[in-house]
Amino acid sequence: MSTKHAKAAAGFLENKKQAAWYDETLWLVRAKRDKQSKEVPEWEELREMACETKLYSNSHLDELLVEFETNARANGAHVYWAKDADEYCNIVYNILHQHGVKHFIKSKSMLAEECELNPFLEHKGIEVVESDLGERILQLMHLKPSHIVLPAIHVKREQVGELFEKELGTEKGNSDPTYLTHAARKNLREKFLHAEAAMTGANFAVASTGEIVVCTNEGNADMGVSQPKLQIAAFGMEKIVPDRESLAVFTRLLARSATGQPVTTYTSHFRKPREGGEFHIIIVDNGRSKILADRKHIKTLNCIRCGACMNTCPVYRRSGGYSYTYFIPGPIGINLGMLKAPLHYYDNVSACSLCYSCSDVCPVKVDLAEQIYLWRQDLDKLGKADAMKKIMSGGMEFAMNRPWAFNAAMDLAPVGGEVLRMMGVTWGKGRDLPKFAKENFNEMWKKGKVK
Amino acid sequence: MKVGLFIPCYINAVYPQVGVASYKLLKSLGVDVDYPLDQTCCGQPMANAGFESESVEMARHFDRKFKDYDYIVGPSASCVVFVRDNYGRLLKAEEHHCASEERIYDLCEFIHDVIKPTSLQAKFPHKVSLQNSCHGVRLMGLSSPSELNIPYFNKLRDLLSLVEGIEIMEPDRPDECCGFGGMFSVEETAVSVQMGHDKVHRHMATGAEYIVGADSSCLMHQNGIIAREKLPIKTLHIVEILAAGL
Amino acid sequence: MSSREDILQSIRRATHVKYEKPDLKPLEEHALTYPNVVEQFYFMMKQVGGEAVFLEEGQDINKLIRESYPDAKRIASNLEGITCATFNPDNVEDPAELDGTDLAIIDGKIGVAENGAVWIEQDVKQRALYFISEKLVILLDKGRIVNNMHEAYKRIHTGEYGFGTYISGPSKTADIEQALVMGAHGARDVMVIIK
Repeated sequence: MSTKHAKAAAGFLENKKQAAWYDETLWLVRAKRDKQSKEVPEWEELREMACETKLYSNSHLDELLVEFETNARANGAHVYWAKDADEYCNIVYNILHQHGVKHFIKSKSMLAEECELNPFLEHKGIEVVESDLGERILQLMHLKPSHIVLPAIHVKREQVGELFEKELGTEKGNSDPTYLTHAARKNLREKFLHAEAAMTGANFAVASTGEIVVCTNEGNADMGVSQPKLQIAAFGMEKIVPDRESLAVFTRLLARSATGQPVTTYTSHFRKPREGGEFHIIIVDNGRSKILADRKHIKTLNCIRCGACMNTCPVYRRSGGYSYTYFIPGPIGINLGMLKAPLHYYDNVSACSLCYSCSDVCPVKVDLAEQIYLWRQDLDKLGKADAMKKIMSGGMEFAMNRPWAFNAAMDLAPVGGEVLRMMGVTWGKGRDLPKFAKENFNEMWKKGKVK
Repeated sequence: MKVGLFIPCYINAVYPQVGVASYKLLKSLGVDVDYPLDQTCCGQPMANAGFESESVEMARHFDRKFKDYDYIVGPSASCVVFVRDNYGRLLKAEEHHCASEERIYDLCEFIHDVIKPTSLQAKFPHKVSLQNSCHGVRLMGLSSPSELNIPYFNKLRDLLSLVEGIEIMEPDRPDECCGFGGMFSVEETAVSVQMGHDKVHRHMATGAEYIVGADSSCLMHQNGIIAREKLPIKTLHIVEILAAGL
Repeated sequence: MSSREDILQSIRRATHVKYEKPDLKPLEEHALTYPNVVEQFYFMMKQVGGEAVFLEEGQDINKLIRESYPDAKRIASNLEGITCATFNPDNVEDPAELDGTDLAIIDGKIGVAENGAVWIEQDVKQRALYFISEKLVILLDKGRIVNNMHEAYKRIHTGEYGFGTYISGPSKTADIEQALVMGAHGARDVMVIIK
């Protein structure tokens, strides 16, 4: 009855030292987030306003996207609409192809991961370079992100040292993060200067101004798009915010929640093409409009991809990003995976103890745990509820009310009580079984022993 | 004021002494308390595992059992909040009005918010570490969740402060999940055991002799870890301390 | 039908409940303020890994910059009165030529006390200057420091500029084992001169 997540998590926990480091490191990010959030007295009100603003914008998408488009065109940008991943990839490719681009530099974009843009372009002969340091490390290692904000959090410095020695010619055995970061800076600077086009995702798209807002600490997005004449930006349509006033709310929440910084180093507002350049903006649906109709799960569209739910999740911290089968891990990933394709991604629904910490930490109040609870109810209907689990869930109650059966099953296995025995065996991995009382409370009461 | 004592299945079968202490404590506070016989599980284990429909029968049974009481009080935050948050919805499908959801209280919540005693007779000259259980904290509001920017409060601490000689600690990561989670504990065994191990060790780091909480299920899980790893700490339901000496 | 129409139609079909736009005024009115915004900004600049200095009455700004960056050889600025600049970046056609700039001196429009961010509106030919330079000096008027982002956005106007950015300290990353390193891609060092 173990899900793919449970099995992968068990594997992750075998390396005790690395697993402990992972948990501690991500908890520290949460602790930094706590400290920052507590320095803002109106924090809870900010969360509420952010949630309400998203509910407003996501229920007025038709108006706001058209307003955005009108303003972006007036600013001199080209605007495209993509129904799905294929159309998005093709639009990017066509723009690049028409401009004869062979070298393309990209800053981190979860939308590009979602739509698998890199392999698509590489297949067509375009060199794609990721410019975020973490993404660059993973690209050179041929790995996928294990966290949406800290993509290479699972990679050790020694591995980066060895990688850079091979790829960038750094000193043998030097795994000092400062040294390695500056080696990447030098190497990527060359890539920036020679790229013919650059692309970013968007943290926010502002309807009233037609601008794209990108938040980074490294400045890689800015460096990228300020070199070549061709700039592309793409965003999932729920990234729209009505105006700059609401941008104030989100920029106060984003970095504090994500990394525990008061704001990202760069919060850049791209409105017009560079002098003599071109600015192409792609608005992407790829299943989002379908979620709009789903009232139980509409709040997932509030998500601003800060990753706070991963850092606080006791299961994510102890199972790592790769234990999930959807490309976004953690509480938000469990939910987005189920919205994308429940029959594909139901294995992640087990990765939750229903502690509700994610719902409390979320800056835009996505009811993450509540939605996972709802997905569990749907598994039975989808035909994906584990039969053993179904019997066991009843068995738990059965055992509690008939301890003799449970005790007998443990002693006399496998006679009859196979389900109970299985429960006991599974529970017994790493924990002793509870000892049933000789006389339960109900019996004691009947006999007048409770006084 | 007539109170019906709700004894959840774990407590009935594994920790009957918690039930006894609950009865004695309520009695000592002058509450007219009764125990309706032959209660069953509240249905939370099935619902959290994704089989809410299997809980409906239990909800109906429960609602009938407790219909004549002014309050329903049980020594388990998680079970109580399950009834409070879900029974109305579960029974609505049956066109049955739920009479339990508004009258049910966790025992600590009831004493803290309704009885409001200013003193207790209990003495407990020991160091304890608070097990702030997830559902108690985040669904019921027994203490301020560490994620929120609201003033600190902790109803368990308030009640224990009335006990003579006690020293109250809270672990590092004061309300991180212990990893029980019902079906989660058997479906995701490896993670669940690791969470439990980490939690018990954080409690131990406070120097406490006892892990004390309002949820027997969290304590049962941690107790399993303690027994397996032979650790020098014990678990105790908070009501056993509040009723000490009765 | 075009994808645009398709998407807009499926949005309209899927939208069942229209939520109202929240009134942000109450939040904006009692958002975090500081007894002394200038002091708070100074403090936050340090917190975000940068530095702030005060230009005293009668002090020579060019001397201050030169003394702070004695090793800088290629110094870019198009600001009036910045005589320590060795070249005007607006005379550079290709942004790649700005690579190797040791120091850029630029103008900040608004400073934000809660997070040490300074709002920059593109007033140089190449926006690359803000990121490609090894070090950055931002000039900021004392009277232009506000408490928080709500106030900041209220003070900035859409205007004619095509690009605007908040810069809060030096470029940084913690992508290798969460170890904080300054100078990922942009400026390794940021100093704000409060005048």
